Amino acid sequence: MKKIFYLVFALAFVFTSCEFDEGFAEMNVNPTKAAAIDVNNKFASVFLETSGGRYENWRASLIYSSMIIQHMSSTATYWTGNFYTLNQGYSTSLFDRAYPSQVKQIEDIIYQLTEEGNSGTAMGVARIWRAFIYHRLTDLHGDIPYSEAGKGYIEGILKPAYDPQQDIYNDMLAEIEAGIGQLGSDTLGSSDLIYQGDIDKWRKFGYSLMLRLAMRLTEADAATAQSYAQKAISGGTMASNSDIAFLQHTLGPEGINKNGHGEVFTADGNMRMSKTFIDFLKGGNDPRLTIMAVRRSDKSNAPADIIGMPNGLTTGALEAKYGTTSGDYAEPNRAVFGGEDTPMVFQTYAEVEFLKAEAAIRGWHSGDAATHYNNGVKAAMQMLSMLYPNAASISDAQVSDYLAAMPFDPSIGMEMIHTQYWAATFLNEYEAFANWRRTGIPSLQPFGGEAVYPGNETNGEIPRRMIWPFSEESTNAENYKAAISRQGPNTLTTRVWWDK
Amino acid sequence: MNQIKIKTVLLVFSFLFSGLTFAQQTISGSVTDESGLPLPGATVAVEGTSTGTTTDFDGNYSIEASDGQTLVISYVGYSTVSVAVASGADYSVSLKPDQLLEEVVVTALGIERNSKALGYSVTQVGGEEVNEIKSTNAINALQGKIAGVQITGNATGAKGSSRVIIRGNSSLSGNNMPLYVIDGIPIDNTNLGSAGVWGGADAGDGISALNPDEVLSISVLKGGAAAALYGSRASNGVILITTKSGKGTEGIQVEVNSSVQFDDIRNDPFDPQRTYGQGRDYSKTSDNADTYANWGPELDGTSVEQWDGRGRPYTDKGNNMDKFYQTGTTLINTAAISSASENANVRLSFSNLQNEDIIPNSKLNRNSFGLNTSQTFGNFTASVNMKYIHDSSIGSPRLSDSPGNANFGIRLFAPSIDVNDMLGEGGLGTNSDGSEFRTSDNTFSQNPWFAAYQYIDNSEKGRVIGSAALRWDITDFLYAKGRFGIDRYDFNRTSATPYGTAYQPLGSMNENKLTRQQRDLDVLIGTDNLKFADDFSLSAFVGINQNYVSSESVSASGGNFIVPFLYNVKNTQNQNANYGFSERQINSVYGSAEVSFMDAAYLTFTARNDWFSTLSLPGKEAANNDLYTSASLSLVLSDLVTLPEVVSFAKLRAGYSQVAGGADNPYTLNLTYGIFGQGHQGASLGRISNGSIPNPNITPFIKTETELGFDLRMFDNKFSADFTYYDNETDGDIVGVSASATSGYGSALANLGVITNKGIELLLNANVLEKDDLSIDVTFNYSNNISEIVSTNDANGNITLQEPRSRNLNVTHIVGEQFGALYGTSYVRDAQGRIVHDIEADGTPIPQVGPRKILGFGVAPTSIGFGSNIRYKDFTLSFLIEGKNGGQMFSGTNALMKYFGAHKATIDADGRQNGFTVSGVDANGSAFTTNIAPNRIEDYWRRTYQIAEEAIYDNDYLRLRQISLGYTLPSELLDGTFISSARLSLIGRNLFLLSNGVENVDPESAYNVSNSQGLEWFGMPVPRSVGLNVNLKF
Repeated sequence: MKKIFYLVFALAFVFTSCEFDEGFAEMNVNPTKAAAIDVNNKFASVFLETSGGRYENWRASLIYSSMIIQHMSSTATYWTGNFYTLNQGYSTSLFDRAYPSQVKQIEDIIYQLTEEGNSGTAMGVARIWRAFIYHRLTDLHGDIPYSEAGKGYIEGILKPAYDPQQDIYNDMLAEIEAGIGQLGSDTLGSSDLIYQGDIDKWRKFGYSLMLRLAMRLTEADAATAQSYAQKAISGGTMASNSDIAFLQHTLGPEGINKNGHGEVFTADGNMRMSKTFIDFLKGGNDPRLTIMAVRRSDKSNAPADIIGMPNGLTTGALEAKYGTTSGDYAEPNRAVFGGEDTPMVFQTYAEVEFLKAEAAIRGWHSGDAATHYNNGVKAAMQMLSMLYPNAASISDAQVSDYLAAMPFDPSIGMEMIHTQYWAATFLNEYEAFANWRRTGIPSLQPFGGEAVYPGNETNGEIPRRMIWPFSEESTNAENYKAAISRQGPNTLTTRVWWDK
Repeated sequence: MNQIKIKTVLLVFSFLFSGLTFAQQTISGSVTDESGLPLPGATVAVEGTSTGTTTDFDGNYSIEASDGQTLVISYVGYSTVSVAVASGADYSVSLKPDQLLEEVVVTALGIERNSKALGYSVTQVGGEEVNEIKSTNAINALQGKIAGVQITGNATGAKGSSRVIIRGNSSLSGNNMPLYVIDGIPIDNTNLGSAGVWGGADAGDGISALNPDEVLSISVLKGGAAAALYGSRASNGVILITTKSGKGTEGIQVEVNSSVQFDDIRNDPFDPQRTYGQGRDYSKTSDNADTYANWGPELDGTSVEQWDGRGRPYTDKGNNMDKFYQTGTTLINTAAISSASENANVRLSFSNLQNEDIIPNSKLNRNSFGLNTSQTFGNFTASVNMKYIHDSSIGSPRLSDSPGNANFGIRLFAPSIDVNDMLGEGGLGTNSDGSEFRTSDNTFSQNPWFAAYQYIDNSEKGRVIGSAALRWDITDFLYAKGRFGIDRYDFNRTSATPYGTAYQPLGSMNENKLTRQQRDLDVLIGTDNLKFADDFSLSAFVGINQNYVSSESVSASGGNFIVPFLYNVKNTQNQNANYGFSERQINSVYGSAEVSFMDAAYLTFTARNDWFSTLSLPGKEAANNDLYTSASLSLVLSDLVTLPEVVSFAKLRAGYSQVAGGADNPYTLNLTYGIFGQGHQGASLGRISNGSIPNPNITPFIKTETELGFDLRMFDNKFSADFTYYDNETDGDIVGVSASATSGYGSALANLGVITNKGIELLLNANVLEKDDLSIDVTFNYSNNISEIVSTNDANGNITLQEPRSRNLNVTHIVGEQFGALYGTSYVRDAQGRIVHDIEADGTPIPQVGPRKILGFGVAPTSIGFGSNIRYKDFTLSFLIEGKNGGQMFSGTNALMKYFGAHKATIDADGRQNGFTVSGVDANGSAFTTNIAPNRIEDYWRRTYQIAEEAIYDNDYLRLRQISLGYTLPSELLDGTFISSARLSLIGRNLFLLSNGVENVDPESAYNVSNSQGLEWFGMPVPRSVGLNVNLKF
């Protein structure tokens, strides 16, 4: 018996003297992942993530923004932006996708650059791009998590506060200015998917974005608007279509490489050109008409065959009122816009010229409003063939004819400028939606003047914002409630701060 | 006692007592059962000697023994009988079946113990419970049979997984399923794919590979005290499965079992409106491309242009379910050969299962080989178990969201739409060019034939489960055991969205290869029944375990086929490859000591320390290991004190245990980056890999459980009651603390979850009648488990789990509530509970969408089972009625049926022609009753789709789960044939629902087996099965 107990004790001794976790620390290091990567790899992805996937480009951009702004129309009732109905997930799609990708990534980039002591070009680009990412979000939603956002790991903030839009705008403008100041002679190399290492263009984009953000504040904070607009213009904004900020997509190999709008065109045949937009193009004998639109049924681009679809009508209502079906109307020309390898445009030279024209009218800028307007129209027409290889080019003569037929009239200057801005921001729908809300131009009728869609969520008014995700109500309750009490109810009609 | 042990003991004895002799004589006798049938293989031993033998094929034996000695005759499942050797004694004995009193149960680590020694609840069921009425996933056959074990059926098809929960969910977001151990080898039960909010298919789980014909017994270790020895993997209980071996076979025995089952949907509760045809705005011509819209006028027989431009009569085309689903078949054939000698036994089996599901083009072919051997030489016993299982599956049905889900349209098409018109020129849902024959203008509303026949989802799985074990009986009271086990499988899956699919015209495909393996090494040393004082004895062991799990996957995917219909990743424009690897290991030291007093009081202690690789990191300070213990007490009152005569047996038991758990996932302690995609224009793409904020300081959770129970048998064991109360608490559960998505992450890992479960389990058995020709047994079990989320995280915010496709509800853990609240949008009600509406310009009331509220709980707290076994001569009839109560379900099928007007609730008693009457209050609180015009009814119901509350149902049910009528051919009929026994059974499963709280779908229709229970969204119909089972032994 004794022997047995000795044996048991011996075993116990062996057990306790063993290292029972030998090799465990090494085993728990993921062999397929890295602890750190080059910041340039992060830049390339943040640009693509900002361009976005099919998900949010379908929902927030096309289903909501393009319909609300009456660039497009659809009879399909899931195109909720055309009927002012609420689909929570559609309305929050950019918010839902941006924070875990673009925002998380840009905050990580800035954290890494800060840790590495980088205060050069990379940091400058990062700060400008960060402002670009957030300005879209705040324009769509108003108050948003900004100063504390995307820092779940970096600072352990799980429930970021919502910052007032005014604070966000002030900070974004300051950040852009600081970012421009850090742009040096070094580049991001091949990771610079926007300007391929041309820092001069980054500087111009920085000032152009500053101008966009500044002009957004004309109604809410004119002094800030003027001061930054002047700073931007004197700093040097985009000077030609070759300065356009865009990302060239490819046909693949994966979703992230493709243009999100192009993927929507592949998947969805229900979008048509809005009557509002087609009527505008036709009214001015606009050479863009036959490039941008074709009849859905037979792809004819004969001007007589290109008819815009009235907004806000279901198939049944359309048939009842007009005796037509959806195929009778014009759709965006898929040969031009439909490819998955088309560029995603962030800001164009034409927009910058239009904003300068407005600044001139306001007396904030010494340039000539008519010249800026003419430059803008020309740039807007001629950029199509530059951006989209299948778009017929519009000659200088065609532009001159167009402008000659409808010369800039200072008495309706704002209207002319921003109607052109609206036309120039086709497929840049977030910007079109924001600029329309600020200026009220063009003067859109709810549902394009058609009957009020029964069951709409806005009491028949054109939506003024996208809602915050209801998930915030549970995951970020206090901050969400504070934002509601500051900004107003979480509906499609509550106006954001700069939308006076 | 089991034979191996006896033999082992005998061998040990033969060592010790060799040389001693007695004056011996040869004694002959026979061993039979109560009915006089011979018991071959019964053990006959001379008490206190090494002499022993077993009975032959006819139950006869002969043995050398002396007067005054005692023969001990035993047989598994029967009471042991002793016969004194004396002149004139009758050595032919008849053994009575154990009335569970001497029941041997398989407990942790495969150790067999007398059930009376257990201070905790273990339920053991015989193999016949799964052998006879088979389910493609064998574990489903236990549904409703074991109190405290909740097996939730789901709607994922015949090849689907099972959700098995023992004594409630004990982890908020981690795994809650038990550990499965087959013949001592812990097996992998990973669900290889399931449907979520955006759709998907159930690719099966690990336990579904179990061949029901090969099961000898299943032992369920419910509580922590029972399971603690398996360590952290057993924190949710353990299901021990013992497969048949050659043990006890006389000579060579061949067993053949054949069964055929037919599945149909005749009892599906689907009951849509059949009065109004396809259309919108109460007009049949409006929007004929929306085939789901049931908003047309009353069917009138006139010709109307349909979705494909063809005119068809506007009539009720009949039930599309019947036209689309087919009769499913399951054939299971098993043949086994077994043999045993005194020192060895072997069993070799082969089984083939062929299943064709009720949905077209979904098949499974499974071949299983099994080899169980055991050999004793000297004081060593070696045993080897090997199983090879090969699954070949075609067409796993897609569920939940629409594209690819054939179940979707079938339940939504208006009555004037005939699914048989949708076959298309190319057949099976295609145009002549092979592309999808579209049946709607919405590309996501797919032609069901196309979804079933053209989508590809094929897989193969080759799996080896094997072990080698050696037991060494060092002395008569000391043994050592070593065992190595492995479970490894290779899973290949090819899935494709075909070329020509409407919503993805160029198609895409995936090839996945996954290899998973789990290895276990155990070495232990122990003593059995070591008497160390008067009336006291000790059974104890200490051991070490190493458990290693690795998973390696390689996948290739491609989008946009170049050559149409050529399914090769190389044939795509956009290609992508991925590689994944993970591994983890747990090392453990464990021990157990059971002290028994007079074989009537037993006190057992266990302890185990686990070291986790998943909690280790270079430089980490926080502990990576955990020590936990258990204690349990069993008092057999009937042996200790004098009880009234009616009491045949009474036992009290009490257990307290701790088990660590939850640290399953490797690589969660630090932030990592990955390169993804294939770059863009020369630039490489990288980003953070973690979707959850990593935490280097996490530790395993500790689950503490107390259980109390009694086991009472009365009236000569004719009545028995087994009752258990338990109370468990999981502390420090690793939860994803819900982070706002604006933090960049979905969650942060922390040891902050606390959940408790309290429950009772009651099992009653009664032998109502017992005569020669007739016996009636009835059984009833009841269990009730109430869970409570005590803490979720630092702020005790909600933990959000999955959501259905309508995205207006999430399964959510809310502090103070039960596990898994259905938390979704509600109606707005005034103080009197009346629904608040917005009133449209034309007077149409539209209900307001209210805030998210708790609308129910997806896990039913109460389960019951009631069954009976009636034997008349050679016939046996058994049935089981099973039900659940107290849970709710969010039914997406009903939500969309209402949205599209297919639901009867969208029609007033007097039809739609007179409008639809709604009462409520307007936004100002004024009450109204309005008759909505026929062409606006759809606007009302379309809004209700946003209100999750409208689709919540109590999913209480009671169903005739199974019934069987068996006939055992009398042995005299088989005399002279080569057949030694034959049994025929007629069987039925899910025969009908006695009650169902849900409309239109089966109450058990979840589309996955995750923790997000209570979500239904166009799953497979739950079929009823009828069949025939034949068992022959030669």
